[in-house]
Amino acid sequence: MVSPSSDASPVLRLTFLAVLVIALFLALFARLWFLQVLTGDRYVELADSNRLRTVVSEAPRGAILAADGEELVRNRPALAISADRQVLLDDAGDPRDEEAERVIARLGELLDLDTDEVINRLSSQRRSPFRPVPIETDVSQEVVFTVREQQELFTGVETETLPVREYPQQTLASHLIGYVGEISQEELLNPDFTDYLGGDLVGRSGLEQSYESQLRGTPGRRLLVVNARENVLDVQSDRAPIPGNDLVTTLDLDLQEATEQLLEEGIVSSRDIQRDDGRFLPSVAGSAVALDARTGAVLSMASYPDYDPREFLGGLSQDYADFLFEPESYQPLVNRAIAGEYPPGSVFKTASGAAMIEAGQIGPRGTRDCDAEFEVGGVTFRNWNRGVNEGPMDLADALKRSCDTYFYTLAYDTWQQEQAQDDPEEALIEVGERFGFGRSLDLDLPGELDGRLPGRAWRQAYWEANRERWCEQADAAPEGSVERELLSDNCQFGGAWRGGDAVNSSIGQGDVLSTPLQVAASYQAVANDGVLMRPHVGDRIVGPDGEVVEEIEPEALGDLGIDDQVLAVMREGLEDVLMDASGTGESAFDGFPLGEIPVAGKTGTAEAGPRVPYSWFVAYAPADDPEIVVAVNVEQGGGGSQTAAPIVRNILEHHFGITAAEDAEFEAGDEILD
Amino acid sequence: MEIGYGQDREQRMLRDRVQARWTSTYSPVRHLDPVLVLTALALTGIGLVAIYSAKLVALSSQDLPTTFYVTRQLIALAIGVIAMVLTAIVDYRQVRIYAPALYGIGLILLILTLTPLGTEINGSQRWIVIGGFQLQPSELVKLSVLVTIAALLHESKGAPHIGHVGLSLLLTLVPTGLVFLQPDLGTSLVFIWGTAVLFLIGGVQARYLVGLVVGGVGAVIVGWQQGLVAEYQLSRLTAFLDAADATAAQTAAFQTRQSLIAIGSGQFAGKGLFEGTQTSLSYVPENHTDFIFTVIGEEFGFLGASVVLGLYLVLVWRGLRIAILSKDMFGTLVASGIVAILTLQVFVNVGMTIGLMPVTGLPLPFISYGGTSLIVWFAMIGLLLNVHMRRF
Repeated sequence: MVSPSSDASPVLRLTFLAVLVIALFLALFARLWFLQVLTGDRYVELADSNRLRTVVSEAPRGAILAADGEELVRNRPALAISADRQVLLDDAGDPRDEEAERVIARLGELLDLDTDEVINRLSSQRRSPFRPVPIETDVSQEVVFTVREQQELFTGVETETLPVREYPQQTLASHLIGYVGEISQEELLNPDFTDYLGGDLVGRSGLEQSYESQLRGTPGRRLLVVNARENVLDVQSDRAPIPGNDLVTTLDLDLQEATEQLLEEGIVSSRDIQRDDGRFLPSVAGSAVALDARTGAVLSMASYPDYDPREFLGGLSQDYADFLFEPESYQPLVNRAIAGEYPPGSVFKTASGAAMIEAGQIGPRGTRDCDAEFEVGGVTFRNWNRGVNEGPMDLADALKRSCDTYFYTLAYDTWQQEQAQDDPEEALIEVGERFGFGRSLDLDLPGELDGRLPGRAWRQAYWEANRERWCEQADAAPEGSVERELLSDNCQFGGAWRGGDAVNSSIGQGDVLSTPLQVAASYQAVANDGVLMRPHVGDRIVGPDGEVVEEIEPEALGDLGIDDQVLAVMREGLEDVLMDASGTGESAFDGFPLGEIPVAGKTGTAEAGPRVPYSWFVAYAPADDPEIVVAVNVEQGGGGSQTAAPIVRNILEHHFGITAAEDAEFEAGDEILD
Repeated sequence: MEIGYGQDREQRMLRDRVQARWTSTYSPVRHLDPVLVLTALALTGIGLVAIYSAKLVALSSQDLPTTFYVTRQLIALAIGVIAMVLTAIVDYRQVRIYAPALYGIGLILLILTLTPLGTEINGSQRWIVIGGFQLQPSELVKLSVLVTIAALLHESKGAPHIGHVGLSLLLTLVPTGLVFLQPDLGTSLVFIWGTAVLFLIGGVQARYLVGLVVGGVGAVIVGWQQGLVAEYQLSRLTAFLDAADATAAQTAAFQTRQSLIAIGSGQFAGKGLFEGTQTSLSYVPENHTDFIFTVIGEEFGFLGASVVLGLYLVLVWRGLRIAILSKDMFGTLVASGIVAILTLQVFVNVGMTIGLMPVTGLPLPFISYGGTSLIVWFAMIGLLLNVHMRRF
């Protein structure tokens, strides 16, 4: 041992070394504790994601069928060329190496695509990284053979068979079926779509959307164990794809075809009708609904103009997108039967008549004079018949003649009665909702609108939302002008529900809005002894093995809550509309075998500002034992008996086997008949 | 009358007995350090298991015998044990005399490595192939430089003057430079570190030590700026800083990242022998050599890793004890130098697998696959035994 006492003694210096060594080891222990014990969970996950690869195989989507089992939409196998993004592209989205570059160039040549376009499609972020990205679908056999025979020239390129949506009935029921599209980035982040992957198809509208969970099926999933070179070593789990269920609808294929055809022909032929003012009817668009009077099942539904769902397969072309969205096309994608909100006009009179009776203003057989006009607060409301007092009428007569003043006087009296109350229950809203207006009918199609039943609360809210703007406009209007007077009145008192509003609402004008489906449903309830059924398109869900998975039972939404006697009078009036010589719909049904098949219905001519009125007609038949309800609306189609009634008549004639749709003729009723 | 021990038989026998007892008591063979040897063998055993596990799947998928690496390592172990016995037998004080020769031989081997006789693997020329075996001279030189500097500082009797310090520095820097050229940054750092610790223990004055540190840092900065450090070394050195960046796969960070995943996912108790997915699926490159600690961390968890580090601490403890007990400066220097090199290699190697240190190619003593390293480490154990045995 050497000089142990000196400052620089080896013992002291060895102690220093020992401390240093222990410090280094402590650092290692601390770091290991942190990695393995404190944050080990995270590394377990990372290790798993390292070694496990999920390979997804698509499940064939279920078919949608008409009530008779005829397919409306199904899958067709299509040949596709796909490529593995990880083989061909690097993380930056550029070709991984020169070989990848050559493969991409060859692929572009084969598919007649730009190299950039191939890379574009390959790197689409909407595509799942867990399966090959389809570069081109529906390629020819030759293309597939070219790739397969020279696989060494096409590293990372695969040929596959993908299920593609096919429409055996072409555009039939396109608004009902809807279409599918690739899932979007936003949807992928949405918790409702947790088990979806980029590139998955998802129902975008119609039944494809509302029955998505049934139609979709469960994709197959294989969990592979791979090593660092991505060689598959083992299959940890393997779940075969489960095909989606089929949806059998309530749609009557034959009636659906007829409805679409007759709606279009009726609309187009009405454009030849010249109005008294010399204008031809624009009849720009329209819709039709046929319901089963007992169950609420949708037998057919059509919206004109319509679109071709096949255009959505493999991406929408620019031309077609332009067509769909230009104003002259009148929004072909909209299903007007459920998403068109119109003033219902006179077809609303069943609901408003029932409301006046409920308010206690009159009994079912009580009468009011059908005067030529009615004055409220200095404003004159005229009857549609232009100047004749038709004498006293009860509800049945008022419906038959569509007498506006009958409803005006009752609505005004009801309004006065309600004004006297502190917190009035508004009869029109109460009863209107029972008839299915101003609310969703819970139809199994997306996009159904609620319409509107206006009243005091609605007016107040509407005023509060717009007051500021109205007041500014009033201030800006020229001093002393009528416009300024109107605006400043709105500005100050716009929140008041006035007699004039009540009078207007009673004939389905003013601020009342409804969809054709709501109109059809309200008459379905009248035809069905007062029970409003939930309209539905789905009838049953059938599994891939043919077993019925779920029956969609008819379901009552509620009761009209009116006396049997009131209902009887109402139905009598509706029958007279067509079957009495003075009924407003009589001329349109001239020649229809009403003796065999009695029909009840109602015309409607809804004013919409300066435009040509909206034409309405709704009917149920046979009137004594109703089985079908049909409602038709034609935008700017003129009088109800002029355009809509002939279409309804032809649909009924087709349904009852009187005249086939092919031989339909459109005899317009009188213009002025409301 | 002549009375002498030699005359009286009884007395002579008594004296012989006493002498014999003392001689046998102080006989070197009776002063082996079994703890030291057993610990080294235990670490080697763990290493063999880890090497087997690391290469099991890779070898069987190539239809090679799964014991391929283990067999070669066992041969190296056998040679290592012989080397240990040899380095223990020869009195270490003799080694001092042969130090210049050892140094010369090491230097020649290093120079030969850089000539076409050397073999390049992974962009680094570190090996000489002799009869089918790859010899890594830098491992041998580690030992010869240590012994040479220790011998030199021993001469200065605990107060080295500037000339000795300068000469030691020169004798260190020449092989360091040669190893650096291979390039093998890790091992050249080991040389510098070893000499620095010898300076510390050997009594070099504090002001020289500070001066050397300042000079060394300055030299590194200049070297950096002059681009003496190759691009790949730079990227390896900085890769551990951004190991969490997933997009950096395929780059140098990949190794560190996979290594962290392997060790971290071992958690407290490990996944079990042969159950490590990172290990068996070859996610960690070089997991039988430089990254062997990932196998231990993944399959035996924090517990297993702690046992291994604990065994190293046992070696450190025995080594420092030997350094203190040594009867001369040379023994103290050799023992503490071995402890210092061991600590550095363990710290740098384990530290690199757990993201504490940059990736440099240093084997984990006794455990990493690599014959030269194992043999040299057993030779170092032999030297420690040697100092321990002859401490009286």
